[in-house]
Parts: sequence; structure tokens; C-alpha cells
Amino acid sequence: MDKKITTQSIIAFARNNLIILGIFVLAIITTFVEPNFLTVENLQNIMRQFGPLIMLSLGMTFIIMGGFIDLSVGGIISLVAVVTVSLIDSIGQVAALIVGIVIGLICGLLNSFLIIKGGAFKQSEALFLTYGMSVVFTAVALIYTGAAPVFLTYSKTDYSIFTAIGEGFVGPVSVSFIIFFVCLLILYIIESKTHIGRSICLTGGNMTAARLAGIPTEKTIVFIYAVSGIMAAIGAVVLASRVTIASPIMGKGYETQAILAVVVGGTALLGGKGSVLRTVIGTLLIIMMSNCLNLLGVTTYIQYMLRGAILILAIWLDNRKQYSEGN
Amino acid sequence: MNTKITEPIKNIFSAQKAPIAMLLIFITMLFFKTPFYTSYNLIDLVNSNSTLLIVAMGFTVVLVAGGVDLSVGGVMTVSGIIAIKLINSGVSIPVAVLVSILFGAAIGAINGYLTVYQNTEPFIITLGMGVLLTGVAQELTTARPISGENPAFQNLANYKLFGVVPALVLVMIVTVIVVVWLLRSTSFGRNCYAIGGDYEVAKYSGINVLSTKTLTFVISGMTAAIAGVMLSSWVNSGNSTYGDQTALYIASAVVVGGTSFAGGIGGAFKSLLGVMFIGVLSNAFNMLQIDSYIQQMLLGLFIVGIIWLDCYARKVKTETV
Repeated sequence: MDKKITTQSIIAFARNNLIILGIFVLAIITTFVEPNFLTVENLQNIMRQFGPLIMLSLGMTFIIMGGFIDLSVGGIISLVAVVTVSLIDSIGQVAALIVGIVIGLICGLLNSFLIIKGGAFKQSEALFLTYGMSVVFTAVALIYTGAAPVFLTYSKTDYSIFTAIGEGFVGPVSVSFIIFFVCLLILYIIESKTHIGRSICLTGGNMTAARLAGIPTEKTIVFIYAVSGIMAAIGAVVLASRVTIASPIMGKGYETQAILAVVVGGTALLGGKGSVLRTVIGTLLIIMMSNCLNLLGVTTYIQYMLRGAILILAIWLDNRKQYSEGN
Repeated sequence: MNTKITEPIKNIFSAQKAPIAMLLIFITMLFFKTPFYTSYNLIDLVNSNSTLLIVAMGFTVVLVAGGVDLSVGGVMTVSGIIAIKLINSGVSIPVAVLVSILFGAAIGAINGYLTVYQNTEPFIITLGMGVLLTGVAQELTTARPISGENPAFQNLANYKLFGVVPALVLVMIVTVIVVVWLLRSTSFGRNCYAIGGDYEVAKYSGINVLSTKTLTFVISGMTAAIAGVMLSSWVNSGNSTYGDQTALYIASAVVVGGTSFAGGIGGAFKSLLGVMFIGVLSNAFNMLQIDSYIQQMLLGLFIVGIIWLDCYARKVKTETV
């Protein structure tokens, strides 16, 4: 019995620390090779890059904890970004922001509606449904703008909120970081202090058992997809503000990065376990990795390769851990 | 367990979807004055869907055995690029093609090892493998299209038998026949259905589940590689973006055809119908000159609709039994 606990705890210890260890080693190497790494400018850069991805990943955490997956966030980003930016002139920036968030919410609700009505309660079924929705959202964005990008800086009316989100700092902290922190706080409270958080975990652990035990599983699914949609919308606003352009294909590839960040952080893909705090660490690793590798002069193509390799490795390790726990 | 009983009923229901819908499109197109019913268009329709069909064959084998392989797009892209690069650097064509196919088999073996022997979730592992291979493709081509320098390589896909039938179509037909034969008439095929139907039962029946299931991934890798080589030969270029949407597109097409994600249900011929159906649909859209973004939206809605129906049919049957 003792032995079991030790191997289990050693594996858990090694695995939990693997990620932090990874960040640490990477940061140290980069500091030595490239002195630009530890400059205020670069750290602020990291903080700003943190923006869009962490929003998505936080939303994706709830989805994966609930035993589902959402590939439509890339499409939601594209759609929300072009609609929000293009509406600034006609309805003003505050209303445009609200419309953007509402679109994200509607997209998320649409996903959950399809999943519940179709009974697509398996992760793979949800994967393909949300992939199809991603194609639809992207196509709507393309039709809406006629495939042309929308430029934030061409807006004739005031767009100061967007500038603030994209470039602003409150003291040493960027505005997008504050937005992230507020979102994290809200989601963390929901996750750890409310019955919704418990419902998500139980739904992810065993949906049938959860339903029979009186957990409102369908409401939970609606909730997690709504949160994912809203977080994707916030991510879209942050991203569009930072690059000052909204393109109808700008969300492409973000969904796999978000899944990667969540899984690397240590939220089990099978559902039932995880935390938004873990996702923050996972996202930090992904962003730091790309920042360090950029500074070290590694091409984006190889970074792409590494991303895939790390995703495979993270899932493999996670699986081995669960396997050893099962024994 | 109820799903197992309802599977045959659902199978009959969903097996009819693709041919009926395809027939509807053919009838609809009779009412429009388009070049749809020209021999050129119909041959092109088959020809342009051939690479996807080849990929779909291996994909079906994996699906039947209860797995899923989303790395096919990446394998297709990279093996095509490998073939072009090798041939450009002077390697003889048969050797280059062989190396590409072996590469596909190797990736399939890795997928198989990770998902079967290490018991991981196949769709996320192969999704990761797809991302990895896209990176490899970009690195090999520095994200620019590369073109073939040996004109003989083009003949591999573009040679026309009797001046009509392109070699690409012949390769596709051979692949389809081989996979149909594998699934229908060999013990390997029956084992695949058994494993997809119930993994544990298959295991206790004495089937070597591990090696059989791994082999399905190897087959999928090989067909994807063949498709990649043929695609590169057909357009005489290699590009890291070719396989971007392939895996999910094929997955939808195969489900439309009637092969279920649940495993143990479906067949190669059904997948052929599924892929051809989506091909015919987008061809008809083109003929009707529908805007390409609206096409994309309709295709997306369509994928959602079909998969939704697939899930819904299963849900309804489960509730009624």
C-alpha cells in the first residue's frame, strides 16, 4: 500500500513539476543566450501576448473539465472580431463591444443547443459538431466582410477603449492583463465556490451517474459552452485591439493552441478534473516557449512542430499517470 | 449497451442517406442549364475527389476498428513534399514514392503505438500529430509551394489510360478494391469489425487486438501517403497547406456515408459514397455559381447537420429501446 502511494505521488510530483521545470529551464537558457529576455520590454511583451490565448484557454478549461471539447472558438474569434470592429463607426464603441460579447454568447449557446438536442455527449461527437460550427462561423465572417480585413484605425469615431485594451498600461500592468485577471477571478470563484463548478466536474467525470444523481447536466453543458463563447469573444476583442486589424480568418489555429494550453496545464482531457489555475500555468508555458524560441531564432515552423510534439507528450504523460492511478 | 442493439437499425437508416441525397442532387441539376452533365465535368468530378477517396479508405479502416486518425492531412502533405523533394534531388521516382509511403506507414505506426499500446485518446493524439506534421511540412518547404522539376513525375497521376481515364482514378479504384477486400473478405477485416464493436469481447475471443488495431493506423498512414504522392504528382507541386482541412472534411464525409464513430459499423464502399456525395454537392454549387464563402457556410452547416442527425438517430433509438 505504501509503495503504491509513493510511486503515485512521485509520478504526480514529477508530472506537476515537469511544466514548471520546463518553463524554468527554458527561461534560464534564454536568459543566458539572449540577454534581451529579462528586459522590462520583453516581459511586457509576454504579458500582452498572454491576452487572447489565455481567455480562450480559460473558457476551454471548463469545456474540457466537463468532458467536452470546443473547436469552434477559432471561428468565434474571427466572427466577433470583424463584427465588433466594423460596428464601431455605426453604433459606437461601447455598443460594439457589447454586441461582440453577445455574439460570442449566442455562438456558444448554439453549440450547446446542437449538442444537447442531438445527444452528442461523446467528446468525439462534440469535436466534429463544433468543428462544423467553426467552418460556419468563419464563413459568416468571410461573407460579412467580403473576405477583406477590417482596420480598427480606419474608424472615424472614438475607439479609445480598444486602444486602451491593446496598448494601455495601468502602472506596470497591461490592461489586457487586468481583464485576464478579472476573468480568472470570476471563473475561479465559479469553479471552486459554487455548485456549478461541482456540476461541471461531476458531468465530466461520469455524465450518466451525474444525471441520475440529480445534477442538471444539460444546464451545465449550456453553461460551459456559453462561458467558452464569451471568453472567445473577449479574446477576440483583445486580439483585434492589439493588432488593430480584424481579419475574418484571424482565429485559425487558436483552438488547438487553447486545447494544448489546457492539457499541458494538467486538466485531464477525459474530464472531471482540472482547474483554471492550471490552465494559466499551461498558457504561460506555451507563450514563454514561443517567446523564448523566437528570441533564440527558432523558426515558427519548428515551433509549430514542437507544439504538436508537446501536445502528444502531455497527453501521453497524463494518460500514464491516470493508468498508474487506476492500478 | 442499448446502442449495440440499435446499431444495425441505425446502420440501415444512415446507410441510405448518401446515395439518396446524391440522387436528389443529380435530379435537381437536370433542371438547371449548367455544364454539370458533360463528360468532362463528370470525369473531373471523380478525378478531383480521388485523392480524398484514397485517404478516406484508410480512414474508414481505422474508424471501423474503433479508432480515429486526424493526422491524415498532415501525413498527406508531408509525404507529397518528401516525394517532390527527393525526385528534385535526383532520386528515382519509384524509390521516392516508396520512401514517402514508408514514411506514412511509420507515422501510422507511431499513432498506433501511442493510442493502442499506451491507451490514449486517438483523436487528440492524432490531432497533435497533425499539428506536428504541418510544422514539418512548413519547415521542409519554408511555407512556400515547391514545384516538381521532373516532368516524368507528373505522369504518375496525369497519364490517361485510353486517353480518357486518368491514372489517378485508377490508383483510387485499386485502393478502394483493396480496402473493400481487406474489410470484407479477410480475417483482418472481420477482426477490425469485432474490435470496433466491442474491444473487450474481441480481446477475450483471442483476437490479437493490439497488433490488429495498430495495423489499422499503419494502413491509414499508408493510404494518406499514397494520396499525398498522387496529389503532388497531379498538381506537380508540394504545399504545406494542402492537408489543412482534410482530416475533418473526410471524417464528415465518412460519417455521411454511414460509417459510425462508435466503431464496428460501416465499410469502405459506404465511405466512397460519402466522399463522392460531398464532392458532387460542391461541384453542383460551383456549377450553379454560388459564392465560395456561401458554399463554405453551406458545407459547414451540412457537416453539422449530418453529424447531428447521426447523433440524434442514436439518441432516439437508445431512448426507445
